[in-house]
Amino acid sequence: MEPDANHRSRAMPDSAIPAADGALSAAARAMISIRGLDFHYGDHHALRGISLDFPARQVTGMIGPSGCGKSTLLRILNRMYDLYPGQRATGEVLLDGENIIAPGTDVNRLRSRVGMVFQKPTPFPMSIRDNIAFGIKLHERISRSEMDGRIEDALRRVALWTEVKDRLRAGAGALSGGQQQRLCIARTIATRPEVILLDEPTSALDPISTARIEELLDELKQDFTIAIVTHNLQQAARCADQVAFFFMGELVEVDRADRMFTTPRLKRTQDYITGRFG
Amino acid sequence: MSTDPRHIVRSYEQELNQLRALTTRMGGLVESQTAQAIAAIIDRDAEAAQAAMEQDPEVDALEREVEGRAIKLLALRAPMAQDLREIVSTLKITSDLERVGDYAANVAKRSLRLGTMPSELSLGGLRTMGRLVQESLRLAIDALGQNDKEKALEVWRSDKAVDEVYTAMFRELITYMMEDPRNIGACTHLLFIAKNLERIGDHATNIAERVHYAVTGEMLPPARPRGAGAAPE
Amino acid sequence: MSGAMAPAGGVERDQGRNRGRDRGLDRRRRLRDGLATLLCGLATVLVLLALFSILATLVWNGIGGLSVATLTRVTAPGGENGGLLNPIVGSVIQVALATLLGAPIGIAAGIFLAEYGAGSPFATAVRFISDMLLSAPSILVGLFVYLLLVAPVRHFSGYAGIVALAILVIPIVVRTTEDMLRLVPLSMREAAAALGAPRWKVVLLVCVRAAAGGMATGVLLAVARIAGETAPLLFTSLGNLNWSTRLGAPMASLPVTIYQYAGSAFDDWVQLAWTAALLITAGVLLLNMGARFALRRRGER
Repeated sequence: MEPDANHRSRAMPDSAIPAADGALSAAARAMISIRGLDFHYGDHHALRGISLDFPARQVTGMIGPSGCGKSTLLRILNRMYDLYPGQRATGEVLLDGENIIAPGTDVNRLRSRVGMVFQKPTPFPMSIRDNIAFGIKLHERISRSEMDGRIEDALRRVALWTEVKDRLRAGAGALSGGQQQRLCIARTIATRPEVILLDEPTSALDPISTARIEELLDELKQDFTIAIVTHNLQQAARCADQVAFFFMGELVEVDRADRMFTTPRLKRTQDYITGRFG
Repeated sequence: MSTDPRHIVRSYEQELNQLRALTTRMGGLVESQTAQAIAAIIDRDAEAAQAAMEQDPEVDALEREVEGRAIKLLALRAPMAQDLREIVSTLKITSDLERVGDYAANVAKRSLRLGTMPSELSLGGLRTMGRLVQESLRLAIDALGQNDKEKALEVWRSDKAVDEVYTAMFRELITYMMEDPRNIGACTHLLFIAKNLERIGDHATNIAERVHYAVTGEMLPPARPRGAGAAPE
Repeated sequence: MSGAMAPAGGVERDQGRNRGRDRGLDRRRRLRDGLATLLCGLATVLVLLALFSILATLVWNGIGGLSVATLTRVTAPGGENGGLLNPIVGSVIQVALATLLGAPIGIAAGIFLAEYGAGSPFATAVRFISDMLLSAPSILVGLFVYLLLVAPVRHFSGYAGIVALAILVIPIVVRTTEDMLRLVPLSMREAAAALGAPRWKVVLLVCVRAAAGGMATGVLLAVARIAGETAPLLFTSLGNLNWSTRLGAPMASLPVTIYQYAGSAFDDWVQLAWTAALLITAGVLLLNMGARFALRRRGER
């Protein structure tokens, strides 16, 4: 048994679900703290009273049925919702103590600190090299040699360097789906963010490419705080340290992944992860 | 957990139900095997002994069948949470049941040998033990069939009584042997029978622990309530 | 034995009947499929036939007049061995400058409509007017420019022709630019924004680049369209039977030359009209093929 087996949530199995202070918060500093977050799309109340911590240098998995709000939450963390009118967030999302959903936030700077990788690989219509340089150039002025170093570093970290080093000037569209997704991750980490958000990053990939990305996540969490939305429960079980289950815009339960998938505390969670009628 | 909603994938639900049915059947079989073995000693019933011994291969076959199905479910369905706990527990429970079957067969075999020996020894202690163990086993198997954590806890607590009777019997049989060396043959058989019954009680407790884990997700503490002075091994 | 076989035989017969019905259904479907394929094929053949008969007629009648002399000599009165040099040069100048003038305006307007004009009344109005212009008769555009640039100065000019053609270029480029930008997947815009790119960089560095191929095709379409236009030039650049590259003066062009020569009494003029038509067609064809080739090379890179 783990040393923290006598954690309070175990000692009091019937206690209320401590959504606000997730199972890991005692062990690790929270990189992002959400407090009392509500989100509206026009008239639709998409998220209700969410409070959740994302521990630094850990992977937080977000699961739940389609439309439960997990992707919405992810897109609040980098203010992606700003791109669309009629969307409104209230409450607090603290990144290093700063409320990023407050009106004064510099959204582009925020996005350099909180990177995002999408469901479908989205290489830009330019060379492999330029794809990575694009993000860096947005935020920094650096010399050519330094740029080359940063690009190589980013590609090495996603284990793509040996595959593409001889064709950095070739179009990114010629890469395979899995390679494209790794390129997108490289592009994101090249800007040196603190947090990486992944929105179902492997749902369009084959099992081998998926395994490569999962392996990559395991390495990346040495340096980054990671939040991943996935429909694949096994993936959440494999990759995440902490798992949050969302249902109908509410955060139902959050716990360590091993506990979430062996002994969830709530019946709603249990029914979802075992595949029963809700 | 009969109140649970059903799985969306119906074949998964069916396979789980089949696994449960097989495990319950195995439990019933082992229970009756144990009852017959105990009757064989207490009532000197050779037919019951024969029946108990003959059931063993069927129990073994059922264990293999359950194991195969459980592995298939693990591989193909990637069960989670309660389902995962239930399937893993089933694997362990069937191996407990198989051991119980073995002990019952051994008790039956020894009862036949004992029948050939002239003996005036009292079977009072064994009768008590047999009753207690049979009761524990029945309760454990009920808990298994009904996913009843209360019954499981009851079995877990009652193990103490079996241990106490076993310790008392152990002393009694030693005394008989010291009194008259001619008793040694029969007493040794009785001692082994008592030991086997005690082991059956332990396995019943194991089963109860597994059921408790499958239902609640909580492991019971490793130190179960035991008789004051555990029997010397 | 027969008793034992009876049910089996029944099953067999049943299956046989089902197979028979399947076969009947299958045959009907095949028949319909064949018929549809045949009709589509016929339609294609019809279109190709029309196209090739036009091309063949052009080549048949035009190739005879194609010679170094035709390409290097200036137009001359009937029967005096004139060439097509001034209409060729005039057309190239007017089409090129009209494209240079119209395409950037069209691209800018297209970007505005696709990226910034979602739902705004102004954008809706711009889109509506642009679409109107797209289907307006080109002679009206000629008349409009005549009133604007020719009537006030009392003489025809190359400038006027260029402006008239540019007005035709704009709506075509606006439409294709907007359509192509709308085809850029939302995920690509979001990916660029997620890296911290401001809106204008997302549009200019990512979206426009992704849509570049389609936008170039739009410009080429516009070039092809104006290269063959006669009506807007009749009231603007008018045509010029003498050598002139001055934009302030009337300027010759291939379509106007065709218009003037085709119905004339001189056989050599009629021959030159055919050759001019062949030249326009071949020019547009080459331009198209060249652009496609260049775009494909770029895509492979």
